[in-house]
Amino acid sequence: MLNWEELQESSFLESNARERAKGLVDKGSFVELLNPRDRFHSPHLPVLGEAIALDDGIVVGIGKIGIRPVFVISQEGRFIGGSLGEVSGAKMAYTIKLGLETLERIKEKYPESWEERRPTVVISFETGGVRLHEANAGLLAHAEVMDIIQDARKKIPIISLIGSKLGCFGGMGFVAAATDVIIMSEFGRLGLTGPEVIEQEMGKDEFDASNRAMVYRTTGGRHKYILGDSNYLVQDKINAFREKIQEVVHLPFDQIEQYRRIGSLQNVLQQMELINEALEINPNDAIDVWGFYGNENPETLLDLSFDQFMQKAVRREIR
Amino acid sequence: MEMETMIGRGRDAIEMIVDVDSFQEGLIDDKEFDPELGPGAVIGTASIKGSTVTVIANDAMVMNPKFRVVYSGIIGLEEGYKMALAVYHTMEKDRQKAVGEKRAIVLIVDTPGNGPGKVEEIVGMNKSTGAYQLALAEARKEGHPIIAMVIGRAISGAFLCHGLQADRILSLSSKYQTMIHVMPLTSIARITKLDIERLEELSKENPVFAAGPEFFYKLGGVDEIINTPEEMKASIDQHINEVHELKINNQCDQLGPWGHGNLGLEREGRKARIHVIEKMESEYLEVIDQFL
Amino acid sequence: MALHEINYQLLIENPKKIRKEWAHIGVVGSGDLEVLMERKDLNGAVQVKVVTPVTGFDFIWNRVLESFITENQLGDLLIEINDNNATPIVVSIRLAQALAEANRVEEEEI
Repeated sequence: MLNWEELQESSFLESNARERAKGLVDKGSFVELLNPRDRFHSPHLPVLGEAIALDDGIVVGIGKIGIRPVFVISQEGRFIGGSLGEVSGAKMAYTIKLGLETLERIKEKYPESWEERRPTVVISFETGGVRLHEANAGLLAHAEVMDIIQDARKKIPIISLIGSKLGCFGGMGFVAAATDVIIMSEFGRLGLTGPEVIEQEMGKDEFDASNRAMVYRTTGGRHKYILGDSNYLVQDKINAFREKIQEVVHLPFDQIEQYRRIGSLQNVLQQMELINEALEINPNDAIDVWGFYGNENPETLLDLSFDQFMQKAVRREIR
Repeated sequence: MEMETMIGRGRDAIEMIVDVDSFQEGLIDDKEFDPELGPGAVIGTASIKGSTVTVIANDAMVMNPKFRVVYSGIIGLEEGYKMALAVYHTMEKDRQKAVGEKRAIVLIVDTPGNGPGKVEEIVGMNKSTGAYQLALAEARKEGHPIIAMVIGRAISGAFLCHGLQADRILSLSSKYQTMIHVMPLTSIARITKLDIERLEELSKENPVFAAGPEFFYKLGGVDEIINTPEEMKASIDQHINEVHELKINNQCDQLGPWGHGNLGLEREGRKARIHVIEKMESEYLEVIDQFL
Repeated sequence: MALHEINYQLLIENPKKIRKEWAHIGVVGSGDLEVLMERKDLNGAVQVKVVTPVTGFDFIWNRVLESFITENQLGDLLIEINDNNATPIVVSIRLAQALAEANRVEEEEI
């Protein structure tokens, strides 16, 4: 495995879940919980003849950023599509719970200065949601994660990172939306329904799942950034994600609340305005939305480099 | 002989569950909803045995003229936010009331999915029904009893949104064609390359992948199977009272998704989960001091 | 067609232990595998467990493992492999990587 310095310059997209987890926190600080040696693989896969993994496709653990503990959840897309089963789901849910438990310990130990030591949860998504081989347990685990995210509200921030090959889809699309802050790279994709299903529902004329560029525009980092669903867009480097996390962990909670898309009456009313705008635009392509929000010749944004895009792109203002 | 079913009959189910003529559609107390907003979701206020409740149901017989993928009970962009709004307004109305007095929210579930369209993905369908899940979780934690009653289809992500955040989940028995699943067994067969007969055989011993309310019962994802539609009202009322009681006594860990996890262990359908939790907790205790 | 398990054991002369207590490498992706190596008192032997969906290639596994263990003179070692249709060449590469990881000198030790 690459050392921490090498990981910093590595592509987030090309790295695996364990490399990301290690590289996202301070050098040498990451301790994995339920590591491969603990052998907590899925009990449901062998009978179905499906390969197993010692970490069940998810790396969880604790690291540090400065004096703050950071709870890391990192999904491995190459193992059954990063899908959530009974074991991987419990690992995900309980890691957030441990973050909350840690907050209480810190408040007790540092009654005066606990805020500057407030823990953070970071989730690196690479998943299509429920694992079909153990679908019912996977679905129930999703509900548990959503429940615990609500427990964490205004207590410990939860930051989503989306910059992996598979992106974040299915039930995990809800989970990402429900977190406080979303950081994406332009290779990241965030949505609910996969392109093949949309094509099946709407017909190939309306939505051609084999049109990779169009599919990427619909759910990709650049679009989600313009729309405001992604709070930040960063370069495809572990370093770039880490630096952004470092920035966010220090923010006061009232500011973090401003980053949210959903989770309050006010948020819902704002999102309903977005739906009205969408009805007005009647978009055939994400590019139509970019134009509506003030990007002249929006299709030219497609070919810009990351830096040029960041300079030129006009984002939807939240009123 | 025609099979008896409640699929597509969300509105009928409301009438069967609430007190006669008590349902006021589109109203949460005095908060009036735009009747054109999200017609696939029915929301309103009613009473059950004299107690005020908020009702949230699917209407599978209408389509949303603004969004062509929304029909047959699908939860679309507007529907998800409408359902979330109903929950937020419910919380607002009872903000001053004590736990034990906050009105219940009854979810009547018959939905095959979230809106699977292009506009939906461009705008972010994940936010709409995600918002609804967060609203339900918040209301549950504030003290509102939330009871989900599956009368027809509770499929995958749609069940996650409309059902799985409830305190208690009830389902009509599969005699009524009730469907709870992520994927039908035929699709699981295609993915695992095992034949259906073999999968059916395997599902007798392990309920984690098979379709149907009985399997979710074993996993703790359904609290109780209801045998006939006539029994729904009394059962929902009973669960509301029990949930009130548990919330007053601060026993919320027996309710909602966490409670369902414990139930899954008790019923021996989900045994791995607890080992994960216990092992993680002990490893955490070993190392946490170095992070404080 | 449940998962197939291969158990293999080998004792060679003058075996060496790995430097670290344990090491892990790889991801069980399609055509790939993970390797867990653990130091264990086995009276000098190496014990290997391979879990794979593929059947009928045990002799190839045995051959790859034998040459890996003899070439590197390994002993008192537990190797666990979860495979998902990896080719023998990928298996060899991952084994070598796992061993490198298991014998790596950590920065703080230098």
